[in-house]
Amino acid sequence: MTKKLIGQVTPEERTEIQTLFERRNGLNELAKILTADNAELYEKLVKDLGETGVRFQRWWNQMAEKYKWESVEGGNWEIDFNTCHIFLVTQ
Amino acid sequence: MLQYLNILLDDSAVSFCHYEAEKEQRLMSIDTLRAGIRFAMMENLMIQYVFPDNTLPKEYYSVIETIDHFNIKRDGEDSDVCVVENWDFSKANANVPIVVRTTKEDLFQKYQLLNGIITQAKRINIIIKKVDSFNNDDFEEYKGILNALGEQVERAYIDGLSPQLNILTDRMMLKEMNNCGAGETTITLAPNGKLYVCPGFYYDDEADCIGDLENGLDIKNKQLYRLDHAPICRHCDAYQCKRCIWLNRKTTLEVNTPSHEQCVLAHLERNASRELLQNIRKHGTSLSMQEDINEIDYLDPFDKRDDWK
Amino acid sequence: MSFEIAKQAIDYLLDEKRNFQEDGVIWDFIGGEPFLEIDLIEKICNYAKLEMYRRNHKWFNNYRFNFSTNGLNYHESRIQKFIEENHSHLSIGITIDGTKLKHNLNRIYRNGKGSYDDVVKNIPLWQKQFPKEGTKVTISSDDIPYIKESVLHLYDLGIHEIHINCVFEDVWKEGDDKNFEKQLVELADEIIDNDLYKDFSCSFYSEDIGKPLKDNGNWCGAGMMLAVDASGFFYPCLRFAAYSLRSKKPIVIGNVKDGIDQNKLRPFLTLNRTTQSRQECIDCEVAGGCAWCQGENYDAADTNTIYQRSVAICKMHKARVRANNYFWNKLYRKLELQGTRDDFEKNRRKVKPIVC
Repeated sequence: MTKKLIGQVTPEERTEIQTLFERRNGLNELAKILTADNAELYEKLVKDLGETGVRFQRWWNQMAEKYKWESVEGGNWEIDFNTCHIFLVTQ
Repeated sequence: MLQYLNILLDDSAVSFCHYEAEKEQRLMSIDTLRAGIRFAMMENLMIQYVFPDNTLPKEYYSVIETIDHFNIKRDGEDSDVCVVENWDFSKANANVPIVVRTTKEDLFQKYQLLNGIITQAKRINIIIKKVDSFNNDDFEEYKGILNALGEQVERAYIDGLSPQLNILTDRMMLKEMNNCGAGETTITLAPNGKLYVCPGFYYDDEADCIGDLENGLDIKNKQLYRLDHAPICRHCDAYQCKRCIWLNRKTTLEVNTPSHEQCVLAHLERNASRELLQNIRKHGTSLSMQEDINEIDYLDPFDKRDDWK
Repeated sequence: MSFEIAKQAIDYLLDEKRNFQEDGVIWDFIGGEPFLEIDLIEKICNYAKLEMYRRNHKWFNNYRFNFSTNGLNYHESRIQKFIEENHSHLSIGITIDGTKLKHNLNRIYRNGKGSYDDVVKNIPLWQKQFPKEGTKVTISSDDIPYIKESVLHLYDLGIHEIHINCVFEDVWKEGDDKNFEKQLVELADEIIDNDLYKDFSCSFYSEDIGKPLKDNGNWCGAGMMLAVDASGFFYPCLRFAAYSLRSKKPIVIGNVKDGIDQNKLRPFLTLNRTTQSRQECIDCEVAGGCAWCQGENYDAADTNTIYQRSVAICKMHKARVRANNYFWNKLYRKLELQGTRDDFEKNRRKVKPIVC
């Protein structure tokens, strides 16, 4: 695996994706314990998972567009929440 | 620096402050009284005798008179400070400061009784019991009462008088903190011969003493009674606040930290004093030399703690 | 603790948004050994997650479950299931004291057998699951001779971050400071001579310590956190609970039914360094990094106050400062001679201080 520094986002942008990241993790872990018996919360969760996933992907698309990040086939971008650095990770 | 020694002549000595003197009669022995007087002389302390309601044995009075002193009594006769309970002024003496100990409920109902007395009494000190029981509605009520009493004081000033009502006029006159001073300027000798920060500490727990007449005074962490070691009060300008050390300990567990309720009451008084001062000045030159009291946007300095860093 | 008490505590925290305005929350489970009660803990964590979500509470986007464990049952399926279900929100520290000899001095089963072997076999799994987690070591007088070998041993086990500190209690004997300094200097030599500083860290060495202090803040976080005991009483930190105190009365600041008595919190939230310190501490030229524990201050104070700072740790702090100075002077000289100081600065490991 190789990691190449390809850019940096602002702290505000970092906070936005970090919150979405945390929320997505939270929803995924909630999905492991929430069953369809709890209809109201279950529905909310399913909807939320979809919306959060979309917002998560939209952030990466918008930032890639804004900062013109380098990409390669089979690679993916990664953010360091401490430094706001963006890396291109390839196998 | 220590300046005063309260001597509780009996366990049932009248309370003149926030604490409750809830003990049965137990007279201080005459030997303890003599030793207490000697201690005060050696330490250069002014004695304030706190009397019970009952008459003392005759020989006590001759011992009491062996040194210059103040008398704190319920009966206004032969007192330097008289204490009124239950708004019963029948034994009060207008020629000496009158301490009015009241519950908030009584104050809210009976405060108008002060109207006639404000102009006659040398000074009135209102002491509200159970300050920590105040809620937001009570604060509003108290604010209204301060305004109403302020109008009385203002009228008295128009008539050329200078009444003293601690909760309204003290702040107008003060340029710095003037608080209870327990543990710093004042200590208390109890009938058991032991010394206490104030009578309240004795009535709460006799073991909570700061020395005795035999071995002398030993105030541990005495810096904590000083203003410079009071984290909230040292930033405060409600100079008239009692800053009651006993209430501090009771409500926050620390002698140097007041409760929210004590702070808010003191600031309602401070703000009412500000308004009173402005109103009095509109009528002429009275109090023109006093320092202005600034407008502030808080009632509890604790809420401004981020500004102190 | 019953689930009902835990539930009430969670409800209180989530209801009282006005008093808990922080962006995130750490739900910290302290035992005994928390993983002995994994079923209860799982139930509590599930309730917290569901309630944060159901109430649309902002903490749902920023929470952690924190555990300090002795690691003995870490491998068990119930624990592993819990870890799998909550992995991205977990912070788990396994406590291991150092070498087998050192660890087994204090950590033994009821039958007297040391627990070292059973803990160590779980370290690889733990490190695989939580590679960034460090371990926490507390030093008392009798531990001093083992410091160097223990830290090196923990590095050998693959633990990269060692959070280590001296206890705040007055346990120190004559000469402890000199022996402590000697251990830290020898450890510094090992770390630097063997290039261990590149991949490992030990919180004894920090460039931030040993300087005069201008900051007037409080070191300890008591009052900034809320601790709840098994009966549902609230404390500013568990060090103020009856079972943590030697002689003083506990400082209870509320309970799960009535909530927090805000007046009892006021002294904690207005504490600063100068108000609670002696003049010699205020003027101390190596004050930086000299820590204190509010609970120990209270426990050791002459009166019932949190405003009297214990100075039991003074000699040990000064010894640490001398060894710390030695560490950085030696390391920087080596890096400069090698011409690698810039690289080191760029890639240096950051250690988050943990104080108690």
